[in-house]
Amino acid sequence: MSPVLEIRNLSVALPRGGAGLVKVLEDFSLAIAPGEMLGLVGESGSGKTIAALSIMRLLPPGAALSGEIRLGGQNLAQASEAEMRRVRGKRIGMVFQNPLAALNPSRSVAAQIAEAWRVHEGGSARAARARALDLLGEVGIPNPAARLDDYPHQFSGGMRQRVMIAMALACAPQLLIADEPSTGLDPLVAAQIMALITRLRRERDMAVLFVTHDLSVVRDHADSIHVLYAGRSAEWGGARDFFAQPRHPYSEALLGAVPRLGVARLRTIPGALPEPEARPPGCRFAPRCAYVRPDCTATDPPPLRAGGTHAACLYPLSAAPPAEPAPDLPAGERRYLPLLQARALGVRYPGHAAPALQGVSLELGRGECLGIVGASGSGKSTLGRAILQMQPHTGQVTLNGQDVTALRGAALRGWRRRLQVVFQDPRESMNPRMRVGEIIAEPLVLQGQTARAANAARVAELLNNVGLSAEMASRFPATLSGGQAQRVAIARALAAQPELIVLDEPTSALDVSTQAMLLNLLKALGRRLGLSYILISHDFAVVSYMADRIAVLREGQVVETGPVARLISAPRDAYTAALVGAARR
Amino acid sequence: MNRPRGSLAAGLALGGLILALGLVAPFLYPADPYALHPAQALQAPSLAFPLGTDELGRDNLALVLAGGLATLVVALPAAALAFAAGLAYGLLAGLAPPWADKILMRLLDVVLALPSLIVLLFFAALVPLNNTSLILLLGLISWPGLARLVRNETRAQRGRDFIFAAEQAGAGRLYLARAHLLRVIAPVLVVNGTFMVGDAIFALSALSFLGLGVQPPQVSWGSLLETALNIIALDPWWLILPPGLLVFGSLLAASLTGQGLLRRWGEAR
Repeated sequence: MSPVLEIRNLSVALPRGGAGLVKVLEDFSLAIAPGEMLGLVGESGSGKTIAALSIMRLLPPGAALSGEIRLGGQNLAQASEAEMRRVRGKRIGMVFQNPLAALNPSRSVAAQIAEAWRVHEGGSARAARARALDLLGEVGIPNPAARLDDYPHQFSGGMRQRVMIAMALACAPQLLIADEPSTGLDPLVAAQIMALITRLRRERDMAVLFVTHDLSVVRDHADSIHVLYAGRSAEWGGARDFFAQPRHPYSEALLGAVPRLGVARLRTIPGALPEPEARPPGCRFAPRCAYVRPDCTATDPPPLRAGGTHAACLYPLSAAPPAEPAPDLPAGERRYLPLLQARALGVRYPGHAAPALQGVSLELGRGECLGIVGASGSGKSTLGRAILQMQPHTGQVTLNGQDVTALRGAALRGWRRRLQVVFQDPRESMNPRMRVGEIIAEPLVLQGQTARAANAARVAELLNNVGLSAEMASRFPATLSGGQAQRVAIARALAAQPELIVLDEPTSALDVSTQAMLLNLLKALGRRLGLSYILISHDFAVVSYMADRIAVLREGQVVETGPVARLISAPRDAYTAALVGAARR
Repeated sequence: MNRPRGSLAAGLALGGLILALGLVAPFLYPADPYALHPAQALQAPSLAFPLGTDELGRDNLALVLAGGLATLVVALPAAALAFAAGLAYGLLAGLAPPWADKILMRLLDVVLALPSLIVLLFFAALVPLNNTSLILLLGLISWPGLARLVRNETRAQRGRDFIFAAEQAGAGRLYLARAHLLRVIAPVLVVNGTFMVGDAIFALSALSFLGLGVQPPQVSWGSLLETALNIIALDPWWLILPPGLLVFGSLLAASLTGQGLLRRWGEAR
């Protein structure tokens, strides 16, 4: 069968302020057959989004593109802007990560779904409306006739993404480009969106290019996989062969970095993705590769057929992957000393009928990690803030037997530092005009330790604890990568010498390999310093990797609490069972 | 993008020139602004009198320079006073509990609702006018705009995670204001402070023009314009243009500098 989309030797260079053109994608080739889903996988900076934008010819001005992009018989790389307008929306549909930003808030969904169709096919308003109705039904919006005239804000996140998909399907495209369509959605909803895309491409015999940073998302859905690293293809081939035995060391490392139920240790990839201006000679993954040999840095590796896939590696992996190291500490052996108790916590936001939090009781032992799992809107972040006393609440919180709910003013300020917090967005949690050293020293200064030299030494020690060099102290937050910034946030939390750290979605803004590094760091720090954690996340797999016990939160109430192993093997609540199911991918 | 740099450089150059004319030149130019030369009244510019003479035969260049000094010694402290008052009030309201913030902001609404020129005229008619009272008047009339801006910026920044993190490390309100908020809103402050200097010069000139600013025998740019306007039938362009251009130049300098800084820092925020 001839492919719908065939890309040959595509290279893209983008202008980078003053430095001229920088190559961000090199010699990229792939083909997708009708009805096939190809997972284009890579971390931020790998070039995957640039590849998707090149197909639509939506690159930023000044970009240089060479190679062939064949859609049917037409070479899109050479097409004029007028020709591209007839391709976009008609022959290629596109779905983005954030549907709320991609939908017009002031127009009904019917008008927006029908828009592309009317532009390309020129049908009547009545026919367009009938078309929108069909499409809404096809993407699984319940009672579509009643929702035609609703506006985007009246839909939930998952339903909005369905509306986006309906829009992309309006002209029955041959190819659907989906750029992280399920990222940011709750796991159960994300699974539904994936199932929907799979059903649609089978029914319509439509090719799908699925762009994602997370291999686990495409594991059960893609027919083939293409892994990008630093602008070059690392490995490509059938999904079954790929997941059975990845051949490129980067693919293997990436797979090992994804938290899964029952995995005792996440693999991490040392170092960081090279900047486009500073890419190493030879194999670009060589500096971070666990299997590197001397000649890897000498030549660009040619694609080798290895097993069922192609890998751009001189020494593709063959045998079974190295055995997982055993977990280094038997769980449940520590003596249980209660640290924090929360009784009947309740929070009600003004203007909301339902309470955000109701009757939540929790207990946390010294050195323990308690996971709090729930969908967005379940109240998990509110619970974290209530425990931190950053949110007015009813009920009682005690730390070491001391009722902290009654604390006010200076007494409360003095108490606060015993509980620290790490937020989801590390850059937002740092003053952009402070240097890293000053940020980390802040808790020290606030405790009255103002001796500069002593603080600088302590900052260096803390940076070292979180795996950063002491030179980082003079940097500004904007110059840090996401992973580095989150390490700085952890160092600041440690500076206060807390008894408990609340981790509020600490890794959900990060790439999987960075997430693995950070989770391992937190685990090691917890063990070494005897820290207790409350880990808040929507990702059951992440929480099960870190936590000793898990509390499942739904609509402001705890539906189930228990040790991780028990929750996985024998969930008592139906919702817990669904979360475990979604995490068992 | 060369324009931001261009406007900033032009604004700073013009502003520097005006400050030099007003604050330094009066001490360098030897002529006495108040010496009368009745025989040479209303003369057009010449070698002896570079900017001509007024209807009393006073050296107009000396008058313009002295007027600049009189204008700036009132306008600059007045701007500083307004800046300090606006900043303090804004931070206070921004960091106060919601109920106190509400009261402070309603009070501010009342102040803002009064047309400032009318209020200025009212008080100028009530109190004896000298440099101190003028500084107080001008300073106390022009702070509410900055106060509102600082309060809104403070409120917006307060919801950010780094403020929570600092509070969790034990920070009080004073520390938050000093270590975090002032630093984050510094660009806004500098830009608006620049505008306030221009506004103060303009407001004082307007008052003086109405006879309620710097009092005779002292002259200022505003009062020079007023006297020149009384004899406009004689077309004394050398008396009108210099003070008029200097007032206009002050406003332009402040505006160019402020806009330039705004554009330079706009992206960094």
